[in-house]
Amino acid sequence: MKKYLLLPFVLWLAGCVTPVMTMQSGEQPVGDRLVIALDGSWNRIKTTGPAQQWTMEGLPIDDLMIYSGLKDGEAIHAISGSAKPFVFHSVMLPDEIISLFEGMLTRDGSTFQLTKSEPATFGGVKGYHFEFKLVRKVDSVELTGLGYGAVSNGELFSVVYVAPRITFFARHQGRVENMVRGAQIKGIQPATVVPASLSPS
Amino acid sequence: MMDREETRLRRSPFLIKDPGLHDYVQGIACRLGGDHCPDIRVYLVHTPYFNASMAPNGMMQVWSGLMLRADNEAQLAAVLGHEIGHYLARHSVDRLRDAKTRTAFASIFSAFGLVGGVVGLGVLGAGITYTQNQEREADRMGALLMHKAGYDTAESAKVWSDLLLELEAKPGGDPSKNSFFASHPPAEERQQALMQLAQSMPGGTTSAVEWREKTSAFRREWLQDELKRGQSEESIALLTRKIAVEPEQPDYLYIRGEVHRLRAAAGDYDAALADYQAAALGAGAPPEVWRGMGTVYRARHEIPEARASYRSYVEAAPRAPDVPMIKSYLEELGQ
Repeated sequence: MKKYLLLPFVLWLAGCVTPVMTMQSGEQPVGDRLVIALDGSWNRIKTTGPAQQWTMEGLPIDDLMIYSGLKDGEAIHAISGSAKPFVFHSVMLPDEIISLFEGMLTRDGSTFQLTKSEPATFGGVKGYHFEFKLVRKVDSVELTGLGYGAVSNGELFSVVYVAPRITFFARHQGRVENMVRGAQIKGIQPATVVPASLSPS
Repeated sequence: MMDREETRLRRSPFLIKDPGLHDYVQGIACRLGGDHCPDIRVYLVHTPYFNASMAPNGMMQVWSGLMLRADNEAQLAAVLGHEIGHYLARHSVDRLRDAKTRTAFASIFSAFGLVGGVVGLGVLGAGITYTQNQEREADRMGALLMHKAGYDTAESAKVWSDLLLELEAKPGGDPSKNSFFASHPPAEERQQALMQLAQSMPGGTTSAVEWREKTSAFRREWLQDELKRGQSEESIALLTRKIAVEPEQPDYLYIRGEVHRLRAAAGDYDAALADYQAAALGAGAPPEVWRGMGTVYRARHEIPEARASYRSYVEAAPRAPDVPMIKSYLEELGQ
């Protein structure tokens, strides 16, 4: 009798286990066009959203989202419910892309405060860097985050890292910054300082 | 259990801790509650959705999204009066006594025991589903409390019609399918019933001026939260209504401009620019008006105007965290 009672519990437990892959040190391809260099191993969580989701400490402690080749018109998060999704468009300026991430991170009512936004190079392409503070609605934990990214050939490449302000963010920030420094986007079309769309018509 | 959750709420970073605003709203609740004032403990919570709730122990939550939507003190009093009506009629206690609801309540509590904080309490607020008759009774009691406190009860009907406007604006929006209206009487029926009640209790004040004075310091933050929801159609409906009430207020015009710019559908850049320009004419327009204008001009290839707008933004907000980014745009556009 006991084993019959145990069976549903075991099945439930099996359902709770999230598939995790270890991403080893060294160069790692992410999607077709992005290669990143890791100076330590990371855990990759299998998810259904448009970004790869990696973590050092385990979710929901720290969360690294990696976007590789998100296309024009695609949402930056998994779509659920009736709420309007946050959708990337290739003509967006860096601050508009940062606003997308802000919207995504505050969908649950969390509060977001941008602390820095500046131009930066990501994967060999001129793009953006931003930093922020987030208070997570679900547990009121204060988090710190950073993001880098760029648009290449109309596709979005970006990393966004967020972790508790106390202890965890500082513990892994350097690792993420190193990953960003070593990132390479393949198949970059020659970029101009002023996008053609800006030239007076 | 309620007390433990109240302790958590008191420590929550989402609590709006401004004593002036808190005392003001607590005062409105007390005016409505009369002799029950000592039982009511108001907590203002930073959450951009329309909601207020009152737990059986007297813990009342008022969300910032509700305060943004209220046009005057009477409209907030309508919602608080309704919640106090549920409390005085012991509806939540009745619902918890019901065996089915008790199960639901246990699951709600287990959920917010797990997640803790405000979300759990928000779930609780939405989670205790009253019967439609209880909602009608709370509406009647709320209107009576409003009238007794000297408020114009006609404002209670406006609250629901305004909310309906937003829900109808949502793409594919059918208010009857919204979880809020699913547990409440149909909005039209409710509006008519409240209007009839108001006709039987004429007079009273809206206290619109006091409301604006007390909440104006928080308006920009609440509007930014509304913008971040990314629900452009609902936000445009809300902001258009607010602009009709206060046409000179640049904050509403600026945020509606932002909603249009970020949606970027056909005609949105023109609409955004018109709103930014109107906002810029108002006294105390936020500096971000010029940043928005710069982006729209840039998208329209009007480079000199884009440059001038971005420069105005950098001059008006030199310490804003995105100034390095905007300066890089200026470099790209050429001096």
